[in-house]
Amino acid sequence: MDRDTLRRLELLNQLSLTEAQKEDVFSFFADRDEDLKALEAIDTENTERMVHVMPIMTVVREDVVSQPFAREDLQRGAPETDEGYWCVPRVVE
Amino acid sequence: MMKAYTYKADTAAEKRIVADDMILTKDIPTTAGSKMLEGYVSLFEAEALTRLKNAGYSLSGKADVGEFAIDLLGETSVRGALSVDGKILNPAAEIVSSGEAMAALTLDVNGSVRRAAAQSGLISVKPTYGTVSRYGTIPAACSGETVSVMAKCPSVCREVLGVIAGHDDKDGTSLPEEKCALVSAAAPIRRVAILTDMAEGADGSVTERIDALSRALEASGVTVEKISSTLISSARAAWNILMSAELCNNVSRYDGVKYGYRSDNFSGLDELYTNSRTEAFGELLKTAILFGSDTLSTENYMKVYDKSLRVRRLISEEFTRMFESFDAVMMPACSSMSYTEEAVKADKYLCFKENFYTAPASITGLPAVVTGGVQLVGRAFSEAALLDLAELSAKEGK
Repeated sequence: MDRDTLRRLELLNQLSLTEAQKEDVFSFFADRDEDLKALEAIDTENTERMVHVMPIMTVVREDVVSQPFAREDLQRGAPETDEGYWCVPRVVE
Repeated sequence: MMKAYTYKADTAAEKRIVADDMILTKDIPTTAGSKMLEGYVSLFEAEALTRLKNAGYSLSGKADVGEFAIDLLGETSVRGALSVDGKILNPAAEIVSSGEAMAALTLDVNGSVRRAAAQSGLISVKPTYGTVSRYGTIPAACSGETVSVMAKCPSVCREVLGVIAGHDDKDGTSLPEEKCALVSAAAPIRRVAILTDMAEGADGSVTERIDALSRALEASGVTVEKISSTLISSARAAWNILMSAELCNNVSRYDGVKYGYRSDNFSGLDELYTNSRTEAFGELLKTAILFGSDTLSTENYMKVYDKSLRVRRLISEEFTRMFESFDAVMMPACSSMSYTEEAVKADKYLCFKENFYTAPASITGLPAVVTGGVQLVGRAFSEAALLDLAELSAKEGK
């Protein structure tokens, strides 16, 4: 982990760390390097990935139109709304 | 006790349940212990809670949790740690211990529920993945987290689990009804293995409890043997990767637009997103997000994330081999019977080490029961048998 990579990760995840926090993150990643080495030592050459621990079935149901929640209810917790729209800062000048 | 609650209901009902703050409740705020969700009120409630209410249970309140339940015991909540004399306590466990609720309904993401039960002298059951609906829980590490139960005695865990287990069409990972019903199926337990590698790093207070539980089980006619498996010890490394990757994706939805916290300080859309997330998320969560994101990057995906998925299968197969000879595997739930605020201050990432003990059951989806401060991991759908062991040990311990 280097500063450029960390900056890229911050941008990607829309976060901005202080210098002190960056130092903590570097130390965290350094600790994880040991874990990665331990994993690398395990032979997984002929092992399939296990994405789900239990078999997953595709749930099939009738395609019935419903409206479980009203728009005003869904927007009740929004920081800012206007006539049924979520408000964000102007993106086009 | 009030600090343990994020909301307390005025109820004198006999069968009271406390839900932790990862469980959605209608008309009552659910915050996942995060500033990001301060004041958030869901329009619907968790399926497990609905089932309990339909069966005559009442909600006594909401218990605080650490931010997105990835920490040790709840110490990273935006409201601060619950502690007494520098010792960190788990809010849900304190409420159950005090008798204000007969059981706690919790989301076990990274083992905090099991650590809390172990350190508070309670019983907890983390059921087989897919047997209890996760509909209406705040997603964090979806491939391993399970709705769990914590209570003072095994019979209450059994009773509550019997109510909440069952197929739910609203949860795509919910198992068929006939599989879910197996959590109540009785089965004899004759042989238990102590996984010696997993006692690494555990202090005397923990190993004493393993010895005590072994003696109690042996006195009940159960054969207890020591075995070794270095592969199970690698669960922590793999789980930290998978959990962080899933967490990174799950919390990407919090952007300060549709609900939750929004920064007052922004001049454009990017700043709105970045400042809202930066101000609202805690340090532990931010680190986990960055780590998870890194594991999913083009450079690391195959050698880190994909590798962890393959190791997950090997660990699962290792457990299957163990269960050919043993009915349950005993291991600690934590390295020590208490955590101090000082220790967490000295190592803010301690939860990524302490999950050494809880990661094996998390990463495989196997059931785990904590009793007498010790964790018992069993075959899929062996919850009833594991709770039988807890009852046996409780009887012998009296």
